[in-house]
Amino acid sequence: MQWLDGLVQGVLLGGLYAQYALGMALMFGVMRVVNITHGDLMILLALVGISLASTFSLGPWSVLVVLVALGGIIGIILQRLILNRVVGADPLPSLIATFGLSIALQNAMLQVWSADTRSLPSDGLAQASFQLGPLFVGVLPVIVLITATVLTAALAATMQYTRFGRSLRAAAADVEAAAMTGIDPKAVYAGATALAVGILGFAAVFQSMRSTVSPADGAFQLIYAFEAVIIGGMGSIWGAFIGAMVLGISQSIGFRIDPGFGILAGHLVFLTILALRPQGILGKG
Amino acid sequence: MTAKTLLSTHDLKARYGDFQALYGVDLDIAEGEVVALIGANGAGKSTLLKSIMGLIRVGADMVRLDGRPVGGSKPHQMVADGVAIVPEGRRLFAGMSVLDNLRVAVDHAAPGRGDAWTIERIHALFPILKEKQAVPVQSLSGGQQQMVAIGRALLNQPRLLLCDEISLGLAPKVVKEIYQSIPSISANGTAIVLVEQDVGLAKSASDRLYCMLEGRMTLTGRSAELSREAIGEAYFGASHAVA
Repeated sequence: MQWLDGLVQGVLLGGLYAQYALGMALMFGVMRVVNITHGDLMILLALVGISLASTFSLGPWSVLVVLVALGGIIGIILQRLILNRVVGADPLPSLIATFGLSIALQNAMLQVWSADTRSLPSDGLAQASFQLGPLFVGVLPVIVLITATVLTAALAATMQYTRFGRSLRAAAADVEAAAMTGIDPKAVYAGATALAVGILGFAAVFQSMRSTVSPADGAFQLIYAFEAVIIGGMGSIWGAFIGAMVLGISQSIGFRIDPGFGILAGHLVFLTILALRPQGILGKG
Repeated sequence: MTAKTLLSTHDLKARYGDFQALYGVDLDIAEGEVVALIGANGAGKSTLLKSIMGLIRVGADMVRLDGRPVGGSKPHQMVADGVAIVPEGRRLFAGMSVLDNLRVAVDHAAPGRGDAWTIERIHALFPILKEKQAVPVQSLSGGQQQMVAIGRALLNQPRLLLCDEISLGLAPKVVKEIYQSIPSISANGTAIVLVEQDVGLAKSASDRLYCMLEGRMTLTGRSAELSREAIGEAYFGASHAVA
């Protein structure tokens, strides 16, 4: 029974990781931009959300709307000011630029919010649960999973069927050829980064309702997002979702083997997949 | 009949870092005209097209479209102004289907030009592309990929189509098939610049011909009136022609 529970909880945890990973799948998987600030931006949005909630006594769903919009704006600024200067075939410049920005962001957040852990009041949602056969399942994790699934489907459909999705795939395949076909690569990249950081608005609300956040937490979210994208396969949106599930289940089962083994179990599964199937589960060739 | 000049270059100079590739090139093309641009490897033909397209930074006055200075515009602005390119090496969007490659161009077609070219018309021009529309482009043969590249450029609804070595690396039969599409493209009112290494092909497909050597124009005239000797001299340089 505890293994079945581990599996269910793992899938629910995977829903949260999928929300970290979707933006990473767009930026790292499709645009080949390594954005080290991915986790820090989520923490920044979460802390802003917590402050907004307490200052203006907003409920979590109002905070969600504000953070998704704010994430989109931050994404456009990030792309226009920094990433457009370093985007290209070589991933190293984007890695170095965003690594520096990550450190600056963490210190700025420490200055503003201190090192205290905080969380977003959830109106009791975080404690609510229901019984599913022999298992108890939290209401919030189920909402998180459903949200993640809807976001993934919407993003995958956007990539496949819309003008913006085609432009982004074309720019990712050959940016110069895309420009010669009439695409303004900088505008497309700004849109993609806005989308990627906007999705972090969802992750920020759910992460800070479900548990706590503090300024130095971003590194964990960054690693989980990278691992999910690589497990699932670079460039595949559903791959990132599946990768997040694999990571969530591995950690959840690991925690049940030994409470100290959970995170490590996730890393070990990641390394095993990297060794046996480096292109990822849904990756091609 | 003297048609209006569509695009012209004026003392166009271009460089890659310390290497100067073009030394003051003048070229003009009228509406609906087919102009061939020949020259040996490294003569600067591709550089000239890239300079027109905005892939290499040049001075604003060096390229004029409808008499308006457009040199140094971004490539996507040139497309919006009605200039499209079939790039050297085709440069298709790998991983995307044939149809999606074409749709990208439809999405970003030059505005205000109507829909002279539709995906249906491209399918009529190159029927194999309809048959293969769901296939990823990288699995097509070289000739079929070239057809996608031409179709993609046409769907940008250009007034001027730049073709960079569209016969390169293709079987003679496929080259013939592709060159047979040229008259129906220009019949649509689209002017064409054909960069070509095959002098015979260039001469027969064009109204006028330019020859380049080491970054300079060495010959220009009506294709039908230029002699083989004059072209040979311009192509290889005077010393070679004598020998």
